[in-house]
Amino acid sequence: MAHEAAPTANTRLFRPGYAGHNQISARTLGFWLYMLSDALLFTALFASYAVLDTPMNAAGGPIASQIVNPIEGFWQTIAILGSVTAYSLSTVSMKNGKRGGTALGIIASIVLAVVFLAFGIHDLTALAAQGDGMDRSGYLSAYFVLILTHAIHMGIGILWMLVMLVQIPRYGFNEMVVARMLNLRMFWQFQATVWVCVYVYVYMIGA
Amino acid sequence: MAGSHSDPLAHPEVQQGGALRYIAGFISTVLLMGAALIVTMRHDLAYQSFVELVGGLAFLALLSQAALFYGLDISRAQIWKSVSLILTVPLFIITVGLTVWMFQSLDQRTMVMPSSAAAATQPTLLQ
Amino acid sequence: MQLQAPGPWSLLFGRLTLDQIPYTNPILQVTFAVAALIGLAVIGVVLYYKKVGYLWREWLTTVDHKKIGVMYIIVGLVMLFRGFADGLLIRTQQVLANGPHAAGFLGAQHGFLPPFHFDQVYSAHGTIMILFAATPILTGFQNIVVPLQIGARDMAFPYMNAVSLWLTTAAAALVMISLFVGDFSQAGWVGLIPLTELPFSPGTGVDYWMWAIQISSVGTTLNAINMIVTIVDMRAPGMTWFRMPVFSWTTLSTNIIGLTAFPVLGVALALLGADRYLGTHFFTAGMGGNLMLYTNLFWIWGHPEVYFLILPTFGVLSEVIPTFSEKPIFGYVTMVAATFAIAGISWLVWLHHFFTMGSGPDINGFFSVATMLVGIPTGVKVFNWMFTLYRGRITYTVPMLWAMFGLFLLLIGGLTGMMLALPAINYTVHDSVFVIAHFHCMVLMVVCAGFAGVTYWFPKLFGFKLDESWGKAFFWTFAIGTITVFTAMFALGFEGETRRLEWTFNTAWKPMLVIEEVGMVLYVISLALFAMMLVVSIKNRNRERLGADPWGTSRTLEWLTPTPIPFYNFAVTPQVNTRDELAWRRKHELANAKPDAYEEIHMPSNSGLPVILGACAGIFGFAMIWRIWWLAALGLLGIVAIVIFRSFDKNAGYHLQPNEVEAMERNLAIGSITSEQPDRSHHSIHAEAH
Ligand code: HEM
Ligand SMILES: [Cu+2]
Repeated sequence: MAHEAAPTANTRLFRPGYAGHNQISARTLGFWLYMLSDALLFTALFASYAVLDTPMNAAGGPIASQIVNPIEGFWQTIAILGSVTAYSLSTVSMKNGKRGGTALGIIASIVLAVVFLAFGIHDLTALAAQGDGMDRSGYLSAYFVLILTHAIHMGIGILWMLVMLVQIPRYGFNEMVVARMLNLRMFWQFQATVWVCVYVYVYMIGA
Repeated sequence: MAGSHSDPLAHPEVQQGGALRYIAGFISTVLLMGAALIVTMRHDLAYQSFVELVGGLAFLALLSQAALFYGLDISRAQIWKSVSLILTVPLFIITVGLTVWMFQSLDQRTMVMPSSAAAATQPTLLQ
Repeated sequence: MQLQAPGPWSLLFGRLTLDQIPYTNPILQVTFAVAALIGLAVIGVVLYYKKVGYLWREWLTTVDHKKIGVMYIIVGLVMLFRGFADGLLIRTQQVLANGPHAAGFLGAQHGFLPPFHFDQVYSAHGTIMILFAATPILTGFQNIVVPLQIGARDMAFPYMNAVSLWLTTAAAALVMISLFVGDFSQAGWVGLIPLTELPFSPGTGVDYWMWAIQISSVGTTLNAINMIVTIVDMRAPGMTWFRMPVFSWTTLSTNIIGLTAFPVLGVALALLGADRYLGTHFFTAGMGGNLMLYTNLFWIWGHPEVYFLILPTFGVLSEVIPTFSEKPIFGYVTMVAATFAIAGISWLVWLHHFFTMGSGPDINGFFSVATMLVGIPTGVKVFNWMFTLYRGRITYTVPMLWAMFGLFLLLIGGLTGMMLALPAINYTVHDSVFVIAHFHCMVLMVVCAGFAGVTYWFPKLFGFKLDESWGKAFFWTFAIGTITVFTAMFALGFEGETRRLEWTFNTAWKPMLVIEEVGMVLYVISLALFAMMLVVSIKNRNRERLGADPWGTSRTLEWLTPTPIPFYNFAVTPQVNTRDELAWRRKHELANAKPDAYEEIHMPSNSGLPVILGACAGIFGFAMIWRIWWLAALGLLGIVAIVIFRSFDKNAGYHLQPNEVEAMERNLAIGSITSEQPDRSHHSIHAEAH
């Protein structure tokens, strides 16, 4: 290291009062990284779905075009995007310091998420009831598990929102509550992103 | 460490949110998906061009979400999110792309599809 | 309701019955007796010296990255020992059971292990070595060293760090429990499909394997997040990216792999679990399943995983070699670039583990070329290390010896890997012990770097060095043992011995098998020498009190802190002025500079929740394995409850006052050990809003 400088009178060896990292930034970055890893989880599920989406793997059972309904999927798309938008708007209320508006946005978001889930669960139970459950064929296994994994994520998000509905009135917008609200926003938007992929790949390309 | 005792609501991550942006994100995604739905329901494109068109619309929808929902950009507050996403996207493509490629070829070489069964169904990515 | 699995099932105990406990097996009787004795001895010592409270306060509930790192390494070493015992059994069985006339003992037709037992041993060996020995040891180093190297007081998320540790530990405990309750998988560490499917493995072995890996990989993923955020967000002022030590760089790259590869393993195992528990048909032979899909998913993770293991060891070498050559690392920037090139390429090569699947010449060709590309950045690294040595002032301390032997193994492993990367060669030696020899060179390189790291950083943590002469004796027996075993194994690979043979039918293999066994004897001796090294060093620990920089030639920030390191690491955050900051300070006689004044330090408080969460995860895993649904639900509920409870916990740390810090720094300077936290029960704890 020929270029290294010798110390001078101004060289500092310590940095008293160094504030360190910001909690909210660290938490949101950490959560973002978690989501990238979750995205790879879905990637692996999509890859499995792609491999199992052939007539051979349907093993005599229904194939994609016989079970998906793109029009119904469109209503689901509107519901989940509405839910995500409602939640995102609730963080805009948070930005303005309004607890009531924030809570209202979260509640709207939960309602729309439940609508979305109701569609999905109705589909899956109907299929299972007619004997085309996830144990019918390799293809249906891939279909069910992909949809269910997304639904489980949605369920966790709803639970998280309920916790926030308790914490906002209790603690106000302190650092931790704000960080959680921001992480939940990413998480929730991510569910819409995954759904767009599911909708396009399973419901449209499969149709 | 010492933790910043400044107002958490002043954090750039809070401040970046905006009602107009989110509503725009909603509308653009719904419109793009609606367009894709129309393409799907018309059933008048060859499989290959259909997949390309719908895939393109989906890509646009994802881009609009990245910009309008997540608010990704190259500002100080967002740079590491953007960088990590850009590093990860190739992995999504590699994972799905190479898997589809190898199984497509494998199926062709090892699974003899009865021609009647193949004709009775529509194509999938693996064929 | 027992969902699919055959055999008896009860609501209260699931599939668990008394005859699942193999108390009639003599080998397990001995193992159990030894394990119980060691366990009782440890408990006895803890009780006798009244250390229960100390253990709980200082270790089990700690969120200090150094202690967590030490515990990771201890877990890893215990599992390394267990894995080694398995390896010894495998080798001994193969040499005893050679040829049609080989005698049989203990109910085995040949040798002393019947296939049922042998298959479990080799499956456990691989699983343990990769996931529960190598991974925790390396994670431990990263935990200990990286925050210090970048000048931080802790990880970004100290609490989550403890959670990762206890998840890993719970998973390791499950593997150990499988010894005494039920069986382990018989389908190899890779989970050979469709052998792992319920009809072919109806017992609980595969479930043990699956849930243990699943739980530990959650821990690894959380740890990866923690490491990346720490490196991105918490570098000291002046620590620009290109001043960061190479070990921190390799930690970053390896954790990017960890973050992105482990979810794929999670999916592979979860889909297998769906097959076993829910009756789906992902990987079944009929009903539209696809066997190769499992293999594909497994290796999408599997190959990046091997680089997940090797990259941090490259980092260790990059610390050890410059220190003992008294020169800065040669080609720092190319070193960093090569690290990331390797990490990137590691995502493009996974099919080389199943060339024989036969997906066609284009595809095999693509993956073959991609695999060989990895040789370029690896070569860059090897040459950089060699040029670092070139005209350096080399001292062959124990860590340096390990590093040199590691380099040698890397070379052999890399060259044989290149051979395997050619499909034409691969088709003839795939699934032979040639492959085993290849990757053992690589993973033993990991072990060598592990021991290099242990001896290198040990004095920093504990204030005394590991005994040099016992350390050298340990090194030489271990190294010669390694060469003996694996040279013979390469030969056996060419002679056509396939892997995982419980009966080595060909008598022509006998000489090489015997040579391998000789090597194993050397390994056993080396283990005794290792124990001697520990005992002697601990006995003589007060002979030499060591200062901040025990080797005298270290180059990076971790050696700037007092020895042993106080729990707050740096009393005042250092300002970084150059790469190899400590070497620079030493050269300009600034190494002993002290800050002018001390200041308040904010520290996270300890928490008992992570260890309880780990216990819940272990219970959940155990209950799922035995299909005790109520207990599984309880375990899961416990985890969710803890996560939510923690989010309501407002106590986020306390402040150390400047005078306390000053007093502790003064005590450290005169050599009284205060790496323990002061008892804060009578202090006012400054609860904060966050
Ligand atoms: C120059 C770099 C390397 C190359 C070209 C290479 C190539 C290969 C190939 C082609 C195989 C497949 C052999 C077969 O099953 O037919 C293989 C297996 C393996 N390699 Fe490597 N490798 C390299 C580095 C490593 C490293 C760094 C590690 C670990 C730290 C490693 C660990 C393994 C393991 C564990 C297996 C066997 C897995 C199993 O089937 O159980 N390799 N390697
Ligand atoms: Cu590989």
